[in-house]
Amino acid sequence: MYQLDRRALLGAALFLTAAGFAGPALAQADIGRASNFIQTTGQELVAAVNDKTRDVSARRQRVSAVLRRAVDVDGVGRFILGRWWRQASPQEQQDYLKLFEETLIRNLSARFGEYQGVRFSLGRTQQRTEDDVLVNTVIERPNTAPFSLDWRVAEIGGQPKIVDVIAEGTSLRLTQRSEYSSVIQRNNGSVAALLTAMRGQIQQLAQREQAR
Amino acid sequence: MRHPIRPRLSRAALAAPLLAAALLAGCATRPPASEPEELAEYRQNNDPAEPTNRRLFAVHQAIDKYALRPVAVGYRDAVPQPVRTGVRNVLGNLRTPVILANDMLQGEPRRAGDTLGRFVINSTLGVAGIFDVAERWFGVRGHSEDYGQTLARWGVGEGPYLFIPVLGPSNPRDLVGFGLGIVSDPLSWFGQGVVVDALVYGRGGITVVDTRESLINTIDDVNRTSLDPYSTLRSAYRQRRAAEISNSGEVGPAAATSTGFGVGTGMDQERR
Repeated sequence: MYQLDRRALLGAALFLTAAGFAGPALAQADIGRASNFIQTTGQELVAAVNDKTRDVSARRQRVSAVLRRAVDVDGVGRFILGRWWRQASPQEQQDYLKLFEETLIRNLSARFGEYQGVRFSLGRTQQRTEDDVLVNTVIERPNTAPFSLDWRVAEIGGQPKIVDVIAEGTSLRLTQRSEYSSVIQRNNGSVAALLTAMRGQIQQLAQREQAR
Repeated sequence: MRHPIRPRLSRAALAAPLLAAALLAGCATRPPASEPEELAEYRQNNDPAEPTNRRLFAVHQAIDKYALRPVAVGYRDAVPQPVRTGVRNVLGNLRTPVILANDMLQGEPRRAGDTLGRFVINSTLGVAGIFDVAERWFGVRGHSEDYGQTLARWGVGEGPYLFIPVLGPSNPRDLVGFGLGIVSDPLSWFGQGVVVDALVYGRGGITVVDTRESLINTIDDVNRTSLDPYSTLRSAYRQRRAAEISNSGEVGPAAATSTGFGVGTGMDQERR
């Protein structure tokens, strides 16, 4: 009995030490995986944006395909709606997620002009936080100084997905959550008002795209 | 006996409650404790004066649309890029005394050394600060510091969010810092007279135009794509300010481009 206890204790100690050593190694593997993921996704996006052989709507389709694969649209959408998610009806929730994805893609495609000839590269620092990895990239556009963009990558269902973009210290999903919540509050807690505003915005962006 | 002071006092005494009433009317109602999520969001936004702020924001948008932005766009169209870069570099160089003082007050000797070195190199080799030689040849990037950031490092809380027309998003601590920056700037002390006044006001005016020009695309973007520009700006500003204060990573805008008001060129920088 006495010997068993000592062996168990030794085994536990060895196991814990091994786990302690494995910790940083696992973090490194995570960072590597996330960096590779961002590298691939970024290159696909750049190729889609810079593709001059197709018109804007074809490029938009391509970008939207990439984004659907790479971004956790549902998760980010729910995070952005925040506490109003539970107060929305199931139909409103479904509508919201569709509209959210559409606004995301249209806002990005509205910027195709200024992002012509864009190049990106992985930056110097990548960090592991509790739930995800922060991958730093440097975006270069012709005629403007490069700026840095941080991507937050989390494991959703075993796949790495983008959950946030941080530009110069400002998290885009936090900013948008504040924006949407403000719209709902100013309309007396009506999620439907937000959906109407989002539809209006999509229509505006679509019109502007056609006018170009 | 006539007491000329009394009528003035009574008028002031009347104004005070009116002012207080006006301010109170512009305060947002705090959500009840029975709504914990709403209360948490209210605290997070830190914007108890939201109605007043929104009115001031509307005033600012009008001023911006009819005065600030057209001037900035005109400046951008009329003045060639290299000249604009030179102007920005000179303005940044002139901010060195304030930046240096704050680096030292925050106990950051390395950053203070960078600031001082940049000032010396840019003022001499860079021809009075026109060329940012320190960054181009020596790789020493500028950074911005202001009294608001120093007060934050010393533990002063930010206070409620405020929106000031023309100056933009702010809070009491940063306003105090802004005031301190103006008062303590040695370049505003030298001499008296019309010429000096003209130079000081001229520098102020050019700073406003230069800053607005650097923000044209960013602000246009917000106004165009946001469903509620007021809250977008509030959120973005507060996050950015927090990151600036902690000096984390490369967030701080280059010295040449920031007014020390948390407003800098951000993502929108001109060609080098």
